[in-house]
Amino acid sequence: MMNIDEVNKRIRQRPPFQMIERVIEFTAGESARGIKNVSINEPYFIGHFPDAPIMPGVLIVESCAQLCSIVMSGDAVEEGKLYVLLKVDGFKFVKPVIPGDTLDITVNKTRAGGTIVSFDATVTVGGTICAKGSMTFTAIDRDSVYAQK
Amino acid sequence: MDELKIKEGLKDFFCTNLGIESDALGYDTPLFSEGIGLDSIDSLEIIAYVDSTYGISMTGVGKDPFYNIDSITKYIVEHA
Repeated sequence: MMNIDEVNKRIRQRPPFQMIERVIEFTAGESARGIKNVSINEPYFIGHFPDAPIMPGVLIVESCAQLCSIVMSGDAVEEGKLYVLLKVDGFKFVKPVIPGDTLDITVNKTRAGGTIVSFDATVTVGGTICAKGSMTFTAIDRDSVYAQK
Repeated sequence: MDELKIKEGLKDFFCTNLGIESDALGYDTPLFSEGIGLDSIDSLEIIAYVDSTYGISMTGVGKDPFYNIDSITKYIVEHA
């Protein structure tokens, strides 16, 4: 189990864009189960939507992606390296996520080869599936991103 | 190595994982730009498939071996 302190060692994202708060199961390089609490105080609820706060699907995908980053990081973030999303496949948003929900996210590595790693992700709230899909990542040098521009 | 099996495996991979229609893909069909229009992300997927299936690294090789299924197969056979 990882608390927020341990999570912070393994991902670079920080508030207001940090979307995994606790990890309750973890196998380095393979799988994890993590938690995100969804609060009415989150800034995107002001506009999505006024009078009908629903967590945007893309941010549910981001929550899954951050948990995948934790799995890929192992013990700590590697200096100068970033895990970036290459591809999102077959995501379905089965049930709306609203303030007060706790996202229970499970990710399992399905494929790895060359420079890419793929995961299946499932998101439940109170035991009911809210979203599921798969995603693919690669690791890049931080400096290479800015050298191109 | 059975070249036909390699080609069949590659075609199945393209159709299942990269969303290519089976009818549109022959072993000599160009894969990128003027062909069926794969992109750089797809090339990483091909590298991952060849690596995990045959244990052969195509990372950093030029673009010629990626021209079509025939050329990828040739690369696999030559580097097995």
